[in-house]
Parts: sequence; structure tokens; C-alpha cells
Amino acid sequence: MQDLIAAQTINLIYAVTLLAVLSLGLAVIFGLLGVLNLAHGEFIMLGAYCAVVVRQNGWPFLTAIPLAILVCGSIGYVIEVLIMRRLYRRTFDTLVATWGLSLLLRKSAEAVFGLTYRSVETPLPGTIDVFGVPYPAYRLAVIGLGATAIFVLAIWYGNSRTGLRIRAMTGNPELAQSLGLSVKRLAAGTFVTGTCLAALSGVMIAPLVPVFPYMGLDYVLRTFFVIVVGGLGSVIGLVYGALAIGGLDSAVSAFSNGTYGYLSVIVLAIAFLWLRPRGIHVRG
Amino acid sequence: MSNARLAFVDLTGGYGGAIVVRGISGNVRAGEVLCVLGRNGVGKSTLVKLLMGHLRCWSGEILHTGTAIQHLECSARSRYGISYCPQERTVFDDLSVRNNLTLMGDNRDLGRFEAYFARFPILKRRLKQQAGSLSGGEKKILSFSRALSEGKGVTLLDEPSEGVQWENILHMAALINDSKRAGASMVIVEQNLEFAETIADRYLVLDQGRVVLEGTRRDLNREDLLSHLHV
Ligand SMILES: Nc1ncnc2c1ncn2[C@@H]1O[C@H](COP(=O)(O)OP(=O)(O)OP(=O)(O)O)[C@@H](O)[C@H]1O
Ligand SMILES: [Mg+2]
Repeated sequence: MQDLIAAQTINLIYAVTLLAVLSLGLAVIFGLLGVLNLAHGEFIMLGAYCAVVVRQNGWPFLTAIPLAILVCGSIGYVIEVLIMRRLYRRTFDTLVATWGLSLLLRKSAEAVFGLTYRSVETPLPGTIDVFGVPYPAYRLAVIGLGATAIFVLAIWYGNSRTGLRIRAMTGNPELAQSLGLSVKRLAAGTFVTGTCLAALSGVMIAPLVPVFPYMGLDYVLRTFFVIVVGGLGSVIGLVYGALAIGGLDSAVSAFSNGTYGYLSVIVLAIAFLWLRPRGIHVRG
Repeated sequence: MSNARLAFVDLTGGYGGAIVVRGISGNVRAGEVLCVLGRNGVGKSTLVKLLMGHLRCWSGEILHTGTAIQHLECSARSRYGISYCPQERTVFDDLSVRNNLTLMGDNRDLGRFEAYFARFPILKRRLKQQAGSLSGGEKKILSFSRALSEGKGVTLLDEPSEGVQWENILHMAALINDSKRAGASMVIVEQNLEFAETIADRYLVLDQGRVVLEGTRRDLNREDLLSHLHV
């Protein structure tokens, strides 16, 4: 019995961390630029394919990280300069543009890699005992790395010079510009950061799930729910959102099955959109 | 005109299709303050926004030490050497007072603000506080200190004394006169004539988007100015 509780607890921690990490890129772009990036899932998918390519060529797993940053950073930059830059503040247009982008990326991946499911061999095989329960080592690494990444990002955003300037830009863009901040450059940097974060989370999940061109569809929904429930503009909100969505999903799935888990998540998200559209944690 | 630090020639501009500034010219030399006066809604803030680049000029020219800058965007003009205090939304509300001051500097050292802390001790006491929690007058003081300490060649202040206590207005005047002596040029929009009289070298009085009176402090007497300020 104790083993079961331990196993369920660590599963829950794992699900919540993973979901929070998957949501980071979407939250950065939505929270700071006001753009709901519907291609977020596709950037996760591209990151996962970077891991596939790296493994196929027999390179070390970690080389997928620079590759993902290079590929998704460049795509993100080109998209920002050619399209997004002209659309900020035009919410509906950004939805249409990123939706079109998601189609394009999905179809391109299909053209290059085909529709077959790929799997990526885990870089950390074996298990480690946690409270007497053997648990996959790679999943533990995901928990550790994910939590560290979220923590570091929160500290950086709150204290670094660039973090302060981004806050200045979102809070009072006119004043920021007259102080000499290039809002264009900061916005481009923010968008590219968001796409790179999505790609990195894609690399991270590649050894855990089947990789295929349509995998992004599920993630964009789940991570959007996290933001809806958690509220925008703070890392704490993101963690709350991941806790609510990831927690509910794992709990319901554990007692019944995955379909009900998913259903409960959708109901929760709709309830929030309806009753509390600004989320659990509203920035003061 | 040729030795002006900042000159603007026949500027026009407005919002959407509505013209507000209808052909205004003026200039300010090194070590000089140009005070822009006029009733509410005559286009003073609009003129300053055109100079800073928040609004695009419909026609006319802006020269910074002889170079045309009217095509530059706002952040580029700032890097060229123009500081700006807006009339509204004067500070970054989410940032602390300290971060408001040091956001753009090369370092976070507070040494260069000592002259301002000496006159406005409240700034020093509230360094850690969020700027959004300050009163309107305190925000004006913060914004004023931030802009003057940047030490740029040209400073544009839009009603810096609005909501500020008279005692602190006098401190502002003293700091402005110190900067003037150090060679700074300023364009200052004001409604408070007593304050304007302690800092202005020249006046530009606007009405309905046009210059209706201009001259040095000596040329213009109080009655003339007042007749354009009150209904
Ligand atoms: N953002 C805006 N959009 C449309 N019209 C505006 C805008 N801002 C100002 N106006 C109009 O332009 C005119 C001039 O405004 P401006 O702010 O330049 O006046 P002002 O001289 O600074 O007045 P005040 O002394 O009240 O600050 C006013 O009629 C105002 O209604
Ligand atoms: Mg005004």
C-alpha cells in the first residue's frame, strides 16, 4: 500500500513537472507578447524530431539540444520578422497566422519524416529506487531538470537586466522606447525564446512518447489549459496551472482511465474560462 | 538657429486624421530651457510626442545639432541623445524605484543619483518599493530624476511639476538650473507660471496647435503670458 502511494506521488510530481515544462514556451509568448501561439505544439514536435535525427545518426542524445535551438530558433526568428512583428495587438490575426504556421510545420514534418511513429531510445536506461520503489532514471532526470529550468527562469526573469527590460516593455512600451529600448528587438528575442523553450521540451519528451508529425495537437491543447487555469504573467501561476491540470488528469486517470482524465481536464478548463478567465494566480 | 542643439521647423502632426499641431517651429541651444505654455488641449503634449518620436510627423523637420532625425524611431532618437518624461504613465509601475532609476545604466550603482537623493530623500527611502505604489507627485519626481540623471544633450519634460508639492518644485528648479549650467538643453511643458519663470530662458506659447507668442523671458511680460493661459 505504501509503495503504491509512493509510486502515485512520484508519478504525480512527474506529470506536473513535465506539463509545466511543456507549457513554458507558450506562457512566455502569450504572457509577454499577448500572442497565443497555436504552433506551440509543432515546435515541441520539431524538438522531438531533432532527438530522432540525432539518434538516427548515432550522435549523443545531448547534441539534440543545440540542434533544436538552432532549428526552432531560426524558424521562430524568421516567422517573427516576416509575420508576427506586424500582428502584435491584433489578437485574431495572430491566431490565424499561428494556426497557418502550425499546419505548415506539420505538413513539412510529414513530407520529410513520413507519418510513421518513431521512438527515441532513452539516454538513461535503468531504474533508481525512490522510497523503496524502482522508478525509471530518465523520468527522475526529467523531474530534476524540469524543476531546475523553471526555477532558473523565474529567478532570471525577476532579477536579470534583460528580465527587467522585458517587464518594462510589457508594462509601459511607450516609456520603454523613449528610454532607448528597442521594443522590436526585445519582442523578437522573446518570441524566439518561446519557440526554443518549446523545442527543448520536445527534445526532453522524445524518449518518453511516440514521435510523429501530429503529436503537437495534443500538447497545444493541454498547455493552453495550463495557462487558462494558472493565469498569465508569473511562473507561480504556471506551476499552479500545471498542478491543477496535471494533477487532475493523473488522479482521474489513475482511478478510471485516460479518457476520463482528459475529459475532466477539459471540463476544468471550460469552467475556468467561464467563471474565472484570469486564472488562479492573477499578477498583483 | 544654426547653433541650436535641437530645432524643429514647421512641424505638423496629430492622431488618426485629426490634425493637432499645425506648423510649429522653435529651437533650443546648449544651456538653455525652452518653456512651452498654453491652455489645456492646445497640443503641448502632442508637440513633445512628435519631438520624441511617439507620433510620426506629418510634415516638417527636426534637427539634432543640425542632423535631421524626424525619420528615426523613438528608441533611436533616445540613443541619439534625447531624454523624455511623459505627462502620464511616467514610470514603470511593476518595477521597484531602484530598477526604474537603473534600468538603462551601465551598472546598478546608485552613486550618480546622490544629487537627486539629497533633494528628494523620499526616493532613497523608497528604493525597494514598487514604483506603482507611489503617489502621482512622487512618480513625477522619480521620472524627473531618472531623466535628468541620464545626462543627455536634450531633455523633454511634459508637465514635470503636476501634482508635486511647491517645496519639491523648487528642488526641481534648482536641479534644472544645475543641468543648464552643465550645458543641457531642455524643452519643458508647464502650466505653473511661477515655476516656469524660475527656469525658462525662452517661451513658446501655443494656442490651437499654433505658436501665438514667443520670445525670451525678458521680452515677454507676465500679463501677456497670462492672457494666453487663462480663458
Ligand atoms: N491619443 C489621442 N488620440 C486622439 N486625440 C488625442 C489624443 N491625445 C490627445 N488628443 C487630442 O489632441 C488635442 C491636444 O492634446 P494634447 O495632449 O497635446 O494637449 P495638451 O496641450 O498637452 O493639454 P494638457 O494641458 O491637458 O496636457 C486635444 O484636443 C486632445 O483631445
Ligand atoms: Mg499635455
